[in-house]
Amino acid sequence: MTAKILSPAMSKAPPSNWKNWIGVIPFFLFAILFLFLPSFRLFAGSFINSEGHFTLENLLELFTQPYILNSYWLSIRISAVTALGGGIFGFLLAYSVTVGGLPRALRPALITFSGVASNFAGVPLAFAFVATLGRTGFVTALLKNLFHLNLYDSGFSLYSFVGLSLTYMYFQFPLMVLIMAPALDGLRREWREAAENLGATTMQYWFHIAMPILLPSLLGAMILLFGNAFGAYATAYALTGGALPIITIQIGAQIRGDVLHNPGLGYAMAMGMVIIMAVSLAGYSLLQRKTERWLK
Amino acid sequence: MNDSKQTRKFPFWSWFWFIIGVLYFILPLYATLDFSLRMERGVLSFKAYERAFSDPEFLRTFGYSVILALVTIIVSILITVPTAYWIRLRLPEARRIVEFITLLPFVIPAIILVFGMIYVYSSPLKFPFTNITLMQPLTTFTFGTDILIVGGYMVLGLPYMYRSVDTGMRTVDVRTLTEAAQSLGANWFTIISSVILPNLRTALLSGALLTFAIVVGEVILASFLGVPTFGPYLFLLGQHRAYEPAALTFTTFLLTWAAMGIIQLVTGGQGQTAGAH
Amino acid sequence: MAFLEINNINKQFGKAVAVKDFNLQVDKGEFVSFLGPSGCGKTTTLRMVAGFETPTNGNIVIESKDVTNKPPNQRDVGMVFQAYALFPNMTVAGNIGFGLKIAKKPAADIHKRVAEMLDLIHMPDFGDRYPYQLSGGQQQRVALARALALSPAILLLDEPLSALDAKIRVTLRAEIRGIQRKLGITTIYVTHDQEEALSLSDRVVVMHDGKIEQVGTPFEIYNFPQTDFVANFVGTLNAVNAEVVDPISNTLRMDGFQLQTAGGLEGRLSGDQVMIAIRPERLSFAAEEKKANILACTIENITFLGSIVRIQVHIGNTNFYMDTFNNPFLELPKIGDKSEVTCSREAVLILSTNK
Repeated sequence: MTAKILSPAMSKAPPSNWKNWIGVIPFFLFAILFLFLPSFRLFAGSFINSEGHFTLENLLELFTQPYILNSYWLSIRISAVTALGGGIFGFLLAYSVTVGGLPRALRPALITFSGVASNFAGVPLAFAFVATLGRTGFVTALLKNLFHLNLYDSGFSLYSFVGLSLTYMYFQFPLMVLIMAPALDGLRREWREAAENLGATTMQYWFHIAMPILLPSLLGAMILLFGNAFGAYATAYALTGGALPIITIQIGAQIRGDVLHNPGLGYAMAMGMVIIMAVSLAGYSLLQRKTERWLK
Repeated sequence: MNDSKQTRKFPFWSWFWFIIGVLYFILPLYATLDFSLRMERGVLSFKAYERAFSDPEFLRTFGYSVILALVTIIVSILITVPTAYWIRLRLPEARRIVEFITLLPFVIPAIILVFGMIYVYSSPLKFPFTNITLMQPLTTFTFGTDILIVGGYMVLGLPYMYRSVDTGMRTVDVRTLTEAAQSLGANWFTIISSVILPNLRTALLSGALLTFAIVVGEVILASFLGVPTFGPYLFLLGQHRAYEPAALTFTTFLLTWAAMGIIQLVTGGQGQTAGAH
Repeated sequence: MAFLEINNINKQFGKAVAVKDFNLQVDKGEFVSFLGPSGCGKTTTLRMVAGFETPTNGNIVIESKDVTNKPPNQRDVGMVFQAYALFPNMTVAGNIGFGLKIAKKPAADIHKRVAEMLDLIHMPDFGDRYPYQLSGGQQQRVALARALALSPAILLLDEPLSALDAKIRVTLRAEIRGIQRKLGITTIYVTHDQEEALSLSDRVVVMHDGKIEQVGTPFEIYNFPQTDFVANFVGTLNAVNAEVVDPISNTLRMDGFQLQTAGGLEGRLSGDQVMIAIRPERLSFAAEEKKANILACTIENITFLGSIVRIQVHIGNTNFYMDTFNNPFLELPKIGDKSEVTCSREAVLILSTNK
């Protein structure tokens, strides 16, 4: 037998026969009924045209119909912008309470709050931002009264790409904080000391060692943020009511009333989304694994 | 624990980013609170809150959400705990596929999930390859949509519940506990109820609280399946009224904070994250 | 002027005193160990030499230059950490060459030096590996090479072997000493393992509660401990109270037995209480050979420790340990037997009674 490193569970497990699979039947049943079945049906449905026959046209239309392409592109843009923005800002925040030298008591407060904020999405978030940056919002009024800056006159609107991005950031950068704080913890103090011992300045340490080590985590987290924003629906709908035709809103409209007059196309759109999300999750997993390997 | 550096210069940038972060977090909440207190002209009062909480529709939908949340939590636990336990003890080969399944909800956001569920369950449940109808489409009757939405909620909460339970089991080393209990003569029921479950209290509480937060705030599944929960109610309220939605929004925030705070307290850890809706 | 001077170093963290009145002069090429239990201040002192901590008072002088206030990246010291601290994102060659890269040395020189270092640690083909692909012992050797690549004036090692398996520890410590001798580099080695300290060092600094207990060669520390702590910490020891009978003739009384010592009672008066100690290996059975001191005993327990047999004997009111070499033809008494043990005058050590 080849020498293999077995995990303790594996090395002690009794040889399993088919009977052991009985125990996980409820779980698989649940997964089939509520995950696999809906997904496969969507997948299958995207190959069916309005007459009920097999076709690849729906998939092709995803790439040819301009308004569909625009929707995807809009979703990608907003996801990328909030992933990047939320990613950078979240990283800086996480940095400040871990390695950055702030009083240690601030960290649990920030983590808890990040947990809250990252869950505080959807309708309440939209309302909160309307109260903040809407036409009669708190900050809007503040800027008008204190700095004589009329936000809406200068072209800003909460109900736009920029406004929605700002709103999305509210749950994006806390998510980044939650992912990066443990990653920053993984930066061992000895690395910094070893680098200093070998003559490096702080900047050199960050450039040659800390950033390269953190990069997989950072990128992975940003990819996760991307997927997070990409699949969001409620916040956008509650805020803009469908004025911004991101792909999730399109799908929502399709579910309600077959606006495309082609159910198969709707399913194809959904599939397109799933593929993008799957690629993003795969990217995240890959980078996670690389991180773990280095920080073993 | 000793500080490894001589007192360094004042961490200016850290404070800078931290304060900006705090402002970003707090301003919308403050704005909401402020707005919610101004229902009475010229005076700060809780009128919006009184109105909001005394709306019978609010009580009905919120109560409905709470009930659904509890059902979701219970069924989730009933499915997740034995599965995680079984995998640890008897079926390590299934681990990979089960963990893969728990990642799927990240790939299939709620809007897609509800799309698929409606597609599947709006046709009558037939015996395969026949025309014999077993059940009317689930989407057409209330109990049916209740089942669907609980299933959907479970999918949304699955990654967190499973990970919480799995981590809890690893921390407590259920394998060793089980073997010890077995060597002392306990049967399976006793083992699960007296040995395993009590030690998973923290993990279960964590998962339950997170599921609760997800369910109460959820609006996509509810609105497309036509289930009268809190989410759609709040949305509709926002179309007609100004102050009450703000009051409820702020209340939602407090509830979420309470839930996360308890999780943080109980786990002493990083807390859990949920994605956007 | 010594190569390294640590003068009157004190270090406080808030109210807690970590290091007190530490004074040491180290010669060029010397291998000095700081030995002591956890929390005795040895690592803190080392880190002050490296520059990661600043002394509360005192100064540190390397090659006649006062470095006390110099930041760690400007001192000419190389440090090996307990947890190896290899940079995971760089190969072995990258790690070893890092200091040279920072010093902006030309690539060809770096390449050459890295190759030299790899030869030094007997890992010439490992240049392209990553730390996660190496075993603990290999990682530590790379860490050593990394520290030495810059040819520092002083090499500092902070419990470098405590994370490794016992067998590897023994081989690796010999390698470290070999490299140190070859390069002639002044070295400070921190450890809590007395076997390491005794086997490697030119001199040992025994520390306890932030203070130096004794500085001396391994031979001196072991055979002539100057404080109770050193006597107890280094090697096993039978320590017991005794009363001075006559300081001139070096006679003591312990539990009704008369003991002769070889000296060390200067300045004491008859009737004084002292703490005496006898090393287990200095006791033997009187039946084999009678020495100056003979004590009646009962056999309490016999333990095989491999090459040594440890016999617990009851003398007077106290239990003593006696070590004798194991051999297949050893005739040992049985538990409960009455016997006599003996030791020489020199074996009776007088410990200082400072508390």
